[in-house]
Amino acid sequence: MHPLYGTTAVAGIGMRQYKRGASPLPEQGVLAEAILAACADAGFDPAEVDGFVSYGDDKNEPVRLMPALGTRELKWSSVIWGGGGGGVAGAFGLAAAAILSGQAKAVIVFRALVEGSSGRLSAAVMAHHLNDHMLAAGLVAPAQVCAIRANRMYEHHGVPRSVAEDLVRASYYHGARNPEAVAYGSELDLDQMRNSRWIAEPFRLFDCSRENDGAAAFLMVSAERARDLKRPPIYLLGCANGAEKGWGDLLENDDEALYPTAGFRPIARRLYAETGLSPADIDVVQLYENFSAQGVASLIDHGFCTYENVAEVVRFENLIAPTGKLPVNTGGGNFAQGFIHGIGTAYEAVKQLRGESANPVAGAKICLLAGGPGAPTVSSAIFGNEIP
Amino acid sequence: MHVNDGADAPYWNGLAEGRLLLPRCGGCGDWLWPAVSRCGACGSETVEWIERAMRGTIFSWTRTWHRFGFTESLDLPFVSVVATVDDCGVRLLGRLDDPQQVDPVIGEAIAGRIGATRVEGRDIPTIIWSRG
Repeated sequence: MHPLYGTTAVAGIGMRQYKRGASPLPEQGVLAEAILAACADAGFDPAEVDGFVSYGDDKNEPVRLMPALGTRELKWSSVIWGGGGGGVAGAFGLAAAAILSGQAKAVIVFRALVEGSSGRLSAAVMAHHLNDHMLAAGLVAPAQVCAIRANRMYEHHGVPRSVAEDLVRASYYHGARNPEAVAYGSELDLDQMRNSRWIAEPFRLFDCSRENDGAAAFLMVSAERARDLKRPPIYLLGCANGAEKGWGDLLENDDEALYPTAGFRPIARRLYAETGLSPADIDVVQLYENFSAQGVASLIDHGFCTYENVAEVVRFENLIAPTGKLPVNTGGGNFAQGFIHGIGTAYEAVKQLRGESANPVAGAKICLLAGGPGAPTVSSAIFGNEIP
Repeated sequence: MHVNDGADAPYWNGLAEGRLLLPRCGGCGDWLWPAVSRCGACGSETVEWIERAMRGTIFSWTRTWHRFGFTESLDLPFVSVVATVDDCGVRLLGRLDDPQQVDPVIGEAIAGRIGATRVEGRDIPTIIWSRG
């Protein structure tokens, strides 16, 4: 069995989320609160946390958190490279690597984002990637870059545009029923969605994720240690991060067959091979959707459907809990739960497997966390509330 | 961010002279784009810069309606394309003339001319494509 399989676990979670620009605290303060909440959730002394992992150019270097947390000794401090959300799931694998190699015992995975402290996320992501080729073409935002790929997927690969709408509706359906979601209590108005303003064709406003202030933190420890803590362990069963030849930061010169994908083909291959699981074993999916089309492409990459049958699978009724066969984004996802660079999708993965989701999937045992799609480096992880 | 100090410097210098120059491996003949200092396929460090005609086809496109930062010099909406350059297969980012707002079609033939995009007081050369 692969060394990552069921050997580490999420023992505690904490999240603080606000409307963009509305955080009552600066970024580091919100993050400290989320970390303390994750430790309290697990019944774990925060001073004993000895490792930290983040992704997506998070600006909170762990050593600076030590005074607020009372950290005794920092032993592991690392990030997944990449400016976008491609590393969100890989961060859990990196934390597990620290624990399994004995370099740290209690590792916090986190992402924090407060506009007043670090500016607009979309601008920060692009600052990571921008060059003169893009600036001269007027391609300066994630929405535009993803829009170009989406047009190719729709027009050249024949994916019907209706599936994107179904995915958006499913996220908003769940978000409307999740008290922790920014869209809580408000049903999506289909006319409003369909007639919302163009951003970059084929994306209208509702095809794009929002940005929120906030932070989320996850306490990871060995599976053995997690079993002695307050909450039921949510085991990491597998995690893969990376990119294959012909994919990456290539000025749109990716391999033609890979171009319209979300970059997850090698990730899914490894994830399923190393866990012995398949798409049929996945009870629920938390899907990072920066933009609607990239969410669809991610589902295709992860083997839930193909270009040919995507319309049979990515249907609103099939995507919603508790009745759909492929419940997706049961917390509301980036569209409707909120967007702290995708960390909320991981939060919902744990909530769902604990049986604490606002949109529970009966008997859910295995959850796929599909990380930020379309990023040059992408990652995904599989979590379970038992070790199958 | 400086235009002329990377592996793609000859590309920018070519545009400034009115020519499209693209890099090809002196060892195996593969086109190397984005520009690199070494061919990962054969290991050669000889890069030849070859002139290509500004003709190609549309690989994909988007029409931008939202005013994003850095696009202030462009009238909305504007169309950005990924263009496959003929006789090499290299894909370039560029802009497409869009006077009638007719949706581009993937595979459509396009011809380019050298223009520039003004970004924060700097004119960055680029290829502006037209249909036909």
